[in-house]
Amino acid sequence: MSMLSNMITIIEDNWLLLLIGQYPNGPLGGIASTLILSVLGIVLAFPLSVLIALARLSQWKVLNWPATALVYIVRGVPLLMLILWVYFLVPLLIGDSVPGFVTMLCTLVIYEGAFLSEIVRGGIIALPSGQMDAARALGHSHVGAMRYVILPQALYNMMPSILSQFVSTIKETTLGYVINVPELTFAASQLNNRLLTKPFEIFAILAIVYFIVCWSLSELANQLEQRIARQRLGDDQSGTGMLPPDAPKLQGAT
Amino acid sequence: MIRFSHVNKFYGSYQALVDVNATVNKGEVVVVCGPSGSGKSTLIRTVNRLEPIQSGEVLFDGQNVHAGLKSAELNRLRARIGFVFQNFNLFPHLSVLENIMLSPVRVNAVKRGDASQTAMRLLDRVGLAHKAKAYPAQLSGGQQQRVAIARALAMEPPVMLFDEPTSSLDPEMVGEVLAVIRSLAADGMTMMCVTHEMNFARDVADCVWFMDAGKILEIGAPADFFSNPQHPRAQRFLSDLHVR
Ligand SMILES: Nc1ncnc2c1ncn2[C@@H]1O[C@H](COP(=O)(O)OP(=O)(O)OP(=O)(O)O)[C@@H](O)[C@H]1O
Ligand SMILES: [Mg+2]
Repeated sequence: MSMLSNMITIIEDNWLLLLIGQYPNGPLGGIASTLILSVLGIVLAFPLSVLIALARLSQWKVLNWPATALVYIVRGVPLLMLILWVYFLVPLLIGDSVPGFVTMLCTLVIYEGAFLSEIVRGGIIALPSGQMDAARALGHSHVGAMRYVILPQALYNMMPSILSQFVSTIKETTLGYVINVPELTFAASQLNNRLLTKPFEIFAILAIVYFIVCWSLSELANQLEQRIARQRLGDDQSGTGMLPPDAPKLQGAT
Repeated sequence: MIRFSHVNKFYGSYQALVDVNATVNKGEVVVVCGPSGSGKSTLIRTVNRLEPIQSGEVLFDGQNVHAGLKSAELNRLRARIGFVFQNFNLFPHLSVLENIMLSPVRVNAVKRGDASQTAMRLLDRVGLAHKAKAYPAQLSGGQQQRVAIARALAMEPPVMLFDEPTSSLDPEMVGEVLAVIRSLAADGMTMMCVTHEMNFARDVADCVWFMDAGKILEIGAPADFFSNPQHPRAQRFLSDLHVR
């Protein structure tokens, strides 16, 4: 009981730190930074992942090989190692020191780009081959067929997986702690260093906050998945198609 | 208009087309028939190079389809060959109108306004103007196939290819699709149509090609072919279909 009241007191006294870090007296941190980092990470990783997926599906070895190698390497290495590599390599390459936030963002874009590309590739492969045939028969180039016919369908079907990947990204931002990226975990540990006597309470708050954010997003992904599955089922009964009549249009196709 | 000469096609070690020689003239309607697995789809898909061939030539309008074409030239050539699939292959994320407009706008750079007018005229022609805003999943099979025909016609192709356009339809919907194809034939469209609808073939075809095991075994006018097939395989095929 006293732990709970301690937690409430801690939140009452420090909610601003947990929310935005030391901003405006220092860099933006806390949960705001965690979310911005995750959103930017996934938003920037997404176009990269589409390019990697298309390269992996390409028959040209010049595209296929490097993309495949990148995906295998990134998937075969712990994220923490990737962070340390970027942390030491990027300043060497640029010749200047880089803020931890940027280092973490670069790492996340590479890492999520590789994982998302597998999701995108799967989504493309899962479409019936007749879609590509029909587009090519009408005279579309490979790129045109991808852009107007294949990707809009594949990406719509993949929305739940992309959302799940976003949840993973949020959890992965905690590793930014090792290179002093000001985000939620970092803020909590600062708080712990300051209060010293209440680590259980502080890290319980931290866990609860992560859980609420990630659980609600996962739940959203589940609902989305069920919705799409239901619509696909209704579709199958009518004999064709992957998408429901009320499917939102991801790109203005015509 | 379309000429196959010495066409050989392999899937791995299996030979799906064996030394095919035949011609489709301008304005002609050719019906391709034959037992399942005889290579009909494969043959018709070589015309716009949806399937590659290993040797021989397919000429379309004097152009060699399988050699010496840059990819942009191949795309232009494909745009001039209307193709209708057994499974319709409409784009499920686009409305009926957008299905028909997509390729004129994106491939032929037609203005949206013009493309939309053409699309509505074609939908009217196939009797589906009232479904312009519907999505493919909201249509019956027969309606979807009629949209697919309109989509192909929107590119104003001089030739239409049909690969079993009615085979995946419920019987009561076959007629409405065949009626559209008949009206195209009446307008003098050059067509190649793989089908098992022998009454349709008898009425509409100028020429029937009978295929078996990757070979064209018999080419004849429908009257001759149906009443007096020469090849024993063709005789057996027709008696199995009970059309004699
Ligand atoms: N992608 C492929 N890979 C290997 N073999 C194939 C492939 N496509 C077709 N075949 C084989 O080639 C032969 C001809 O196939 P095709 O689809 O052209 O026949 P079809 O006459 O259209 O038959 P159906 O009336 O069943 O449509 C068949 O034996 C088939 O098994
Ligand atoms: Mg076939």
